[in-house]
Amino acid sequence: MTAATQTRVLPVAEPRTKVPQSPAKRRDWLTALLFLAPFLVVYLVLLVYPLFLGIWISFRDWDLMGGDYGWIGTLNYQDLWSDPVFWRAAGNTLKFAAMTVPSMTLVALLLALAVQGPGRIRAVCRSIFFLSSVFSVTVVTLVWAMVLSPDRGLIAPVVQFFGGTPFNFLGSPTWAMPAIVVTTLWWGVGLPMALFLASLGSIPKELYEAAELDHASRWSVFWRITLPSIRHTVVLVVVLQIVAQLQIFGQPFLMTQGGPANSTRTLVQYIYETSFRDWLVGYGAAMAMVLFVLMMIFSMLQLWLGRQGDDQ
Amino acid sequence: MHHQKALAGLALTTALTAGGAQAADIQLMRFFGDCQNEYGSVNDASQANGECGIITALVNEFNATNEGGHTVTVQTADWGAYYDLLTATYQTGNIPDVAVMHSSVMPDFVSRNLLTPLGPLFEQAGIDTADFVPAALQNASANDEVYALPFDLHALLFHINMDLMSQAGFVNEDGTPRLPTSAEEFITMGKQFEEATGQNFIATESQSAEGMMVRFFQSLVWQQGATTLSDDGTSANLTGPEALAAATFVKQIYDEGLADTGLDYAGAEQAFLNGQAGIIINGTWVVDAYNAQAESGSVPLKSYVATNVPALMGEDAVWADSHMWVIPADESRPQEELDAAVAFLTFLNDNNFEWSRTGHLSVRQSVLDSPEFAALPHRTAIANTSQIAHAVPTTQNQRAIYNAIMSEFNSMWLAGAEPQAALDGAQSQVERILRRANRGG
Repeated sequence: MTAATQTRVLPVAEPRTKVPQSPAKRRDWLTALLFLAPFLVVYLVLLVYPLFLGIWISFRDWDLMGGDYGWIGTLNYQDLWSDPVFWRAAGNTLKFAAMTVPSMTLVALLLALAVQGPGRIRAVCRSIFFLSSVFSVTVVTLVWAMVLSPDRGLIAPVVQFFGGTPFNFLGSPTWAMPAIVVTTLWWGVGLPMALFLASLGSIPKELYEAAELDHASRWSVFWRITLPSIRHTVVLVVVLQIVAQLQIFGQPFLMTQGGPANSTRTLVQYIYETSFRDWLVGYGAAMAMVLFVLMMIFSMLQLWLGRQGDDQ
Repeated sequence: MHHQKALAGLALTTALTAGGAQAADIQLMRFFGDCQNEYGSVNDASQANGECGIITALVNEFNATNEGGHTVTVQTADWGAYYDLLTATYQTGNIPDVAVMHSSVMPDFVSRNLLTPLGPLFEQAGIDTADFVPAALQNASANDEVYALPFDLHALLFHINMDLMSQAGFVNEDGTPRLPTSAEEFITMGKQFEEATGQNFIATESQSAEGMMVRFFQSLVWQQGATTLSDDGTSANLTGPEALAAATFVKQIYDEGLADTGLDYAGAEQAFLNGQAGIIINGTWVVDAYNAQAESGSVPLKSYVATNVPALMGEDAVWADSHMWVIPADESRPQEELDAAVAFLTFLNDNNFEWSRTGHLSVRQSVLDSPEFAALPHRTAIANTSQIAHAVPTTQNQRAIYNAIMSEFNSMWLAGAEPQAALDGAQSQVERILRRANRGG
């Protein structure tokens, strides 16, 4: 514990950022800066500047087409507080992420375990499972809207065959969200699966050989060797998924337009509608700030939880 | 040689006398769908049917026949995304020269100086604004200036399957459908209808996309002499007894099983055309299409009639809006393109009758008075629609207001919300939107 802490603290204590005094070192420093410049420019222009501009706009009555009506203090944030649609959208977004992130991680891990290793069939399966990720959101939602359609869908004839009445999933406030979760799983499982595959491939074979000599059960091999070895990938996948799924927009926007009865309206859709339909960019920016803070909190929490494991 | 000189001289004279009428390519942005496959080569608007077909053929006809040699290129956008895309063009600089616009949306654009004033241009082009019916001219005007060419008035109608109505015994002696005269009678007749035919009394879009029932609700509030927004458009009026009565009735239609909550726009149309519903609540824009389908014999619907929305809560009144053509403001637009845009608007105005064949009400008194308009199918039954039509008060952010009411309303039949709760929710949201819209901008 102490050794680990010391090694981690040491580099921070070193005065790395101080500009070196000797000409040679200064030249090195300039060279380093030059190499870093392309990234820094992109980072500053496309991330840091928009972030601070967004914060600034969120305190103003900024109209998309009419321009800036001036500083209004925290009025946008006060409006958010009393806007039921915003709370509904925030709740829907969290609900969607809570349903999607664990199931996506689990399904991706199970698929990765199933298709890892040599063999032609496994290689084909790997490609097939990854293939859906290359489609655009428009194609994916179109396909799933057709699959789920009660009139002409894929599920309807099966239900009818067993004597049931086809169900309108996307028209039900209860089932529309789960239907969008399933669509998202089908679409997005490829990337986390690939990450798990890479991680599984890098576990040393010796560990499994040793476990085999000890007659360890498959479950304890998975629980004591596989899972601890890919722990960092699990954290990475979960963080990436949280950040991605909290920004859900395309699927509900195209499949349900946020309905029925607001049950699938998410934060990004509400931000989009507020900013680009109603032209209230200031109000939209305030919502975006809330989303930003939400994503940051969940990602930090996840990273912190991941680090806890390291210390043990 | 002399012959060639004479030709060159003639060409020069033509060019000089034509003055501003230099040929130009202009961009038209619109919704109404894309039907290039069917109507891409139709150059005669009188040969086309339906909104998409007629506007496509009108553009083709203009391109083929206009004397200035102008060419209109069309950019079609999906209805749901249309205004977002039009807004985006102002940011990208690729502003269309002519665009379609609802009168309910125009205040957003006029208040920010995003449209070209058309009064003087109309005068030059000889477009007689006095021929527009007063409601249409009012829709197209703001601050004593005309900003749009009104193209139609469109209202909500009851589209009726007469075979099912006669099966239920709801036919008058003169052959017209017998319609309810009160909300109570509506429910009673609905139950009788469903018992007699085994089909739904009503089909209508009930999901979150179109909000057909919001238009019906607004009509019912107007029928009681009240409004959903104050006349000056500065405050919401959704918590009054009239709104509650209307909302309670709308919910009752679903609670009594008279309409299927699961239908989207296409599903409702399909149900009606398949003979699975007695009445579809939809706009004027489908009269021509339903009539053509019923006559073709390709659908189970055989005997089709369109009527006004009946007075169920007092006086006759119905929701209406207006399609108009505008020239979005663009300082960099060359004069010849502006001239071409005005020439195109003049052509559209001259052919207003063709557009009224869709089922929309013409905005030109001369067309309304013409025998050819009266001869169109079902027009006698809806001849007075423009007199009972009510437009929403002029205010910005109508789309947001509409969507807010729509979402709250859908929760009444999709999630079991009480009418009072839905109205309270809608009231607070609309008040918030109006506060923003009336910020002095």
